[in-house]
Amino acid sequence: MSFVHIRNVSKSFQDNKVLNQVSLSIEKGEFVTLLGPSGCGKSTLLRSVAGLNDIDEGSISVGGMDITHLPPKKRNVGMVFQSYALFPNMNVYDNIAFGLKMDGLSKLDIRSIVDDMISLIDLKGKEDRYPNQLSGGQQQRVALARSLVKKPTVLLLDEPLSALDAKIRRSLRNEIRLIQQRLKMTTIFVTHDQEEALTISDRIFVMNQGEIEQVGSPNDIYTAPASEYVARFIGNYNVWSRQQLQGLPVRGVPEQGDVFAVRPEAIRMETGYGDEIEGGIVADGKVTMVSILGNILRFEVDVSGLPVTVDMLSGQSIEHLGSGTPVRLVIPRDEWKSIRKSS
Amino acid sequence: MAGRSTSQHKIRLLLLIPFLLWLFAFLLLPAIMMVISSFQNEGGQGFTLGQYVKGLTHPLYTTAIKNSVILSLVSALVGITVAVIGAYSFTTFSAKMRDRMLNISNIMTNFAGVPLAFGFMILFGINGMLTLLFKKLGLSFLVFDLYSWTGLAWVYIYFQIPVAILLIYPSLYAIKQEWKESAALLGANTWQFWQRIGVPVLLPAIAGTFSVLFANAMGAYATAYALVTQNFNLLPIQIGGMVAGDVFPRVELGSALAIILFLILAIALFINEKMLRLARKGQ
Ligand SMILES: Nc1ncnc2c1ncn2[C@@H]1O[C@H](COP(=O)(O)OP(=O)(O)O)[C@@H](O)[C@H]1O
Ligand SMILES: [Mg+2]
Repeated sequence: MSFVHIRNVSKSFQDNKVLNQVSLSIEKGEFVTLLGPSGCGKSTLLRSVAGLNDIDEGSISVGGMDITHLPPKKRNVGMVFQSYALFPNMNVYDNIAFGLKMDGLSKLDIRSIVDDMISLIDLKGKEDRYPNQLSGGQQQRVALARSLVKKPTVLLLDEPLSALDAKIRRSLRNEIRLIQQRLKMTTIFVTHDQEEALTISDRIFVMNQGEIEQVGSPNDIYTAPASEYVARFIGNYNVWSRQQLQGLPVRGVPEQGDVFAVRPEAIRMETGYGDEIEGGIVADGKVTMVSILGNILRFEVDVSGLPVTVDMLSGQSIEHLGSGTPVRLVIPRDEWKSIRKSS
Repeated sequence: MAGRSTSQHKIRLLLLIPFLLWLFAFLLLPAIMMVISSFQNEGGQGFTLGQYVKGLTHPLYTTAIKNSVILSLVSALVGITVAVIGAYSFTTFSAKMRDRMLNISNIMTNFAGVPLAFGFMILFGINGMLTLLFKKLGLSFLVFDLYSWTGLAWVYIYFQIPVAILLIYPSLYAIKQEWKESAALLGANTWQFWQRIGVPVLLPAIAGTFSVLFANAMGAYATAYALVTQNFNLLPIQIGGMVAGDVFPRVELGSALAIILFLILAIALFINEKMLRLARKGQ
C-alpha cells in the first residue's frame, strides 16, 4: 500500500480543464518529481494536495487518511514556493519557529527544535537576519526549514529552485536531496527543468496538459521515452516521423512505427565511409554547426534538409570536423526507438 | 562632455526658479511673518509670549484645541479602520470592479469642504431629505443632529475614508498570497495571519496614513465653517475668525494659535514615528 494516493483527480478553472483524471501513488520516503512545461497543471496538482485549491472530482489520501476535504492547516503537509514566501517582518529564527508557535509548543521545545534545524540547513549565526538580508538560496533554505520543523507527512516543493541562478540551483538541489534522504521525507517536487528532474528524483511523473504522460525512474524516462511528447521534452532527443524520412538518404529504417526517437549521444559519426553495420540505420549528411558543451561536442548535421543532433565526447580526433564536412551517421538498431505519437 | 552636462545642470536649476519663487512667496514668507507676528503684541509691535500664554490657557482656546484634537483622532481612527477593511476587500474584487471602486474613492476625495457640508445639510439637516424621510418612516433613531459633535464627526469620517482608501490601497498589494498560504499550511488561522504578519507588514503604511488623516482633520476649515460656525468650537475656526476677523482681527493671537496647531501636528508625527520604531523593534 502506497503512502500517498491521488485517485482520478480532476480540476477545472471555469472552462479550462487543468487536471484530467490524474492518478498517482507515492511510497513513503520517496522523492518524486512532477515534470512538465509551464501551464500543464503541476502547481494545481500540488496545491490540491496541500488543500490550497479544491478539486472537482477524485480523492487524495496520505498515510491511509483521506484528506480530500480537510483545510490546509489540518493536513500537516509542508510546502515551499518558488518565491520563498518568507514572512518579511520576522527574522530567520521566528520564520522557522512560526509553525511550532501555532502548534502551541513551549518556548523551550521550540528553541531546541529550531536550533537543530538551523544547523541542519547550515544557517548558524544567521538567526537574527531578516529575509531581505539573505540571498535567494539562503531564503529558500529558511523556507525549507520552516516547513520541515513541523515534521510534515509530505513535503511539497513548487519549483523551489527556479528563481535562483545556475550555480546555487545545483548546490541547493543536492542539499535538498541529502536532507530529504536523511529525514526520509516523502517529497513531491515540481519543476519544468528536465535536467533537475533527472538528477534529483527517485521517480518522475511527466505531465502533459493535465494528464500523466509517463511514469518511471530517471533512467527509464531518459533512455526509453514512451511518447513523442516525452522525447521532445527530455533533453535533445532527435524526433522524426516516418513521413519526414521518406525519400532521404537514410537506410535501414525498420518497418514498424510512425515516430522515432534517437538520443544524440547514441549516434556514431564517421568520415571514412566504412562497411554498414549489421542491423543499424545509416544516414549521410553534412556538418552545419559545431558547439562545445563542456567535454561534449555537439554537431548539427543536415541530412538532405533533416536536422540531426549528434553529441560526441571531445578528444576522439573529431575536432577537425568543421562545418561543411560530409559525414555518415550510424545508429545502432536498439537505439532507434519507436515511440507513441503525440497530438 | 563635462561642460555640456554642467550647462544642462544650470538650465535645470533655472527651470526650478519659478517654483522656488512660488514656494518663497506663498509658503515660506507667510510662515515667517506668521512666526514673527505670533510673538508680537496686539497691533503688531514689541516682543511677547503673551499670545501663546493666552492660546494655551484661555478656556475658549483650550477647548478649541481639545475639540479639534479629539475630533481629528476619532475621525482618523474610524476612517483608517474602515479604509483598511474596505481597501482589502477591493483587492479581492475583479480588476474592473476594483478600478470602479477606486474611481469612486477618487471622486469622493474631491468632494469636500463647503459642497460636502451642503450635501450633508440637504440630506441630514433639520429639514434634510433623509431626516424627514426617517421621521416619516418612524425610524427616528437614525436621525442625528448634524450641527452637534456627532454630526460633525460623521462628516469628518465621511471625508477621511476615501482619502485613507487611496493612501492605504497600494500597500495592501504588498501582502502576498503565498504568505497567507504558507501561514495556513503552518497552522495559522486568518486572524493569526493578520495579527502576526498582515498588520505588522502594513504598520508603516497605516501609521503614515493615520498621520495624514489626523493633519487632514486638524486643518479642515471650510467644512467645519459651513456647518458649525457658532455652536462648535474648533481650532481652525478660531484661527480663521481672528485672521479674517470680521469685527476685531487679532492676527497675532491667530498666528500663535496657528503655530500651536502646527506644533500639535509635529508632535503627532513625532510620536507616530517613535511608536513605529518601537513596534518594529518589538517584532
Ligand atoms: N486560480 C486560477 N484561476 C484560473 N486559472 C488558473 C488558476 N490557477 C491556474 N490556472 C490555470 O491552470 C493552468 C495550469 O496552471 P498551473 O497548475 O499553475 O501550471 P504549472 O504549474 O504546470 O505551470 C494554467 O492554464 C493556468 O492559467
Ligand atoms: Mg507552477
